Amino acid sequence: MTESGWPAAFRTLQPFLGWALATEAERTQKRQTSEMADIQAFYNAMLSHLEDILVYLNQFPLEHMPPHARQLMDMTFSLAEIAPAVELFGQPREDDTFDPFRFVPQHQ
Amino acid sequence: MKDRQPTGTGEHAAPDRSDDRWNDKYPYLGTAPIPIEPYISREYFTLERERIFRKVWLNVGRIERIPNPGDYIVVALPVCRTSVVVVRGKDGYLHAFHNMCSHRGNKIVWDHKGSCQNFTCKFHGWSYGLDGRLTFIPDEQGFCGLQKDKLGLTPVAVDTWAGFIFIHLDPHPTETLRAYLAEVVPGLEGYPFPELSATRFCWRTEIKANWKIAQDAFQEGYHLPVRHKATAAGAFTSGTNPHCHFLSLDLYERHRRTSSYGNLNYQPTPVAGRAYQFGSSVVVDRDITLDNLPAGVNPTRRSDWSIDTFWIFPNFSIFPSNGTYLTHQFWPITEERTIWETHTYFPKAENAGQKFSQEYSKVLLRDILMEDGTTLEHMQDVLASGAKTHMPLQHQEICVRHAYRVVEDYVGFYAGR
Repeated sequence: MTESGWPAAFRTLQPFLGWALATEAERTQKRQTSEMADIQAFYNAMLSHLEDILVYLNQFPLEHMPPHARQLMDMTFSLAEIAPAVELFGQPREDDTFDPFRFVPQHQ
Repeated sequence: MKDRQPTGTGEHAAPDRSDDRWNDKYPYLGTAPIPIEPYISREYFTLERERIFRKVWLNVGRIERIPNPGDYIVVALPVCRTSVVVVRGKDGYLHAFHNMCSHRGNKIVWDHKGSCQNFTCKFHGWSYGLDGRLTFIPDEQGFCGLQKDKLGLTPVAVDTWAGFIFIHLDPHPTETLRAYLAEVVPGLEGYPFPELSATRFCWRTEIKANWKIAQDAFQEGYHLPVRHKATAAGAFTSGTNPHCHFLSLDLYERHRRTSSYGNLNYQPTPVAGRAYQFGSSVVVDRDITLDNLPAGVNPTRRSDWSIDTFWIFPNFSIFPSNGTYLTHQFWPITEERTIWETHTYFPKAENAGQKFSQEYSKVLLRDILMEDGTTLEHMQDVLASGAKTHMPLQHQEICVRHAYRVVEDYVGFYAGR
C-alpha cells in the first residue's frame, strides 16, 4: 500500500486520477470533451483490474469509504460512463444523438 | 435461487413472433391511419388542457422524496398554467396547493424541493401553515374587511397509490384515485416498489416535440432494432423476434400495459458483464426467478422476458423489470414543447460493486433514451409542414393507436366533424 492508502496492485491506475469525478455531470463532461484515444486508454487500464477493484472496494462500508477508495469507486463510475462510448459507439458521442448536456441529471 | 434454466440454449427456443396481430384483438380501434393534427394543433392542445389535464389524476412523484413533516416538492404544470406544492403536513398527511399567494399571486415557493415549518411569501411576508391556512399578514390592520379564514392557499386534491403521489386540480374530484387506477392496479399489485425505490436517478430535459409524440416513442418496440441498433437491439431482439414484438399486451379504457421479450442469447459487453456480476442491471437477466415477481408483471411467465410497461393516462408510465424499474413523465408546455422526465429506481446499494452496477445500468439507459430524443425533435420539425395528414400504424404500434383514441375520446376534437 502506498502512503495515500492506494493499493500497490492498482498503482498503474494512478495516472488516470483525472477520471475520479464525483458527479454524473462531471463524468459526462469529461467523456464528451475527451479524445477517444484517452477514453480508450482509461477503459483498457480499468477493465483489466475491474473485478479486483470491485472486490477490493466491497470491503469498505459505503458510508465510511477512505478517500483513496472513494476515488477508485468514482473511477469505476467513470468507466461505466465511457463504456458505451468504447463498447457501442467507438466515439465519445453517438452520431445523431441528443445533446448530452441537455439531458440534465437531477441527481448527484 | 434459480427456478428455471435459461431457455436460450434451444431447448425452449422462443417461438416465431412474426404473426402477432394485435389489431384483431381490438377491432374497435380500427386499422386506418391516424391524423397528424392532434400532434401539431394549438386548438387541440387547448382542448387537452381543459378536458384532460385539468380533469384527471396526474402523477407528480414518489413519497420517498417527502418523508417528514414539512418536506415539500414543487411541480411545474405549465399545461395547466400553474405550479403545485405537495407537502407532508404536521399531521403526517400529504397536502397539495396551487403555489400562489392569496395576496397578489406571487409564487410562495421558488425552489423545487425543501423542508419548512410554514410557507412565507417573499413579496409581502404573508405566511401559511403546512395545511395551507393563512396564519400571518404583516400590517394586517391596513386591509379593509379581509376574511382571513377564506384566504388560505387554494387546495389541490392529492392521494397516493403504491407510494406514487397523484394530484387532481379539482379539489373534490368525482373519481377517487383508486377508481381511476383500477384497470392497472391488479397488474402491479405486489411489485416491490418500496424496496426498489431506495435509489433514485432522474434526468430532465425540455424537448421541441408534442407531448404525445414524445410519449408514443416509448409505446412500441418496432423502432428498437433500427433506432437502438447500437445499444438495445441485441438484448431485446433475436433471430426469432427480430422486430421486437411484444410478448403480451392489454388495452384498457384509459390505460394500457405491455410485456417485452428479452434475448437470453445476448452476450453482454465486458463492462455490462461485470455490472451484471456485481449487482442488478437492465440487461436481460439470465438468472431471473419468476416467483419473485407478482403475477401481473411478466404475465406470460416466460424466462425470455425483459420488461413490462404500464401506461397511466395521460402522461405517466411505469416500466417494471426484475430488480429495477423506471418511469417517464411527459409534461406539455405548448403543442410543440414538452418537459420530459425519466426516473430510474434501484434498491439501496449495499456496497461499491452494487453501486457500480447501478451506475452502468443508468448510464446505458440514458444513452438509449438520448437516441430517442433526437427522433422526437426531427419529427416535430416537419409534422406541421402539411406534406402528410395521417400516419399509418402497424399491429406492433397499437399502443400509439390506443393512446390517440383515448386522448380523442376525452378531447372530442373530431366528434361531430
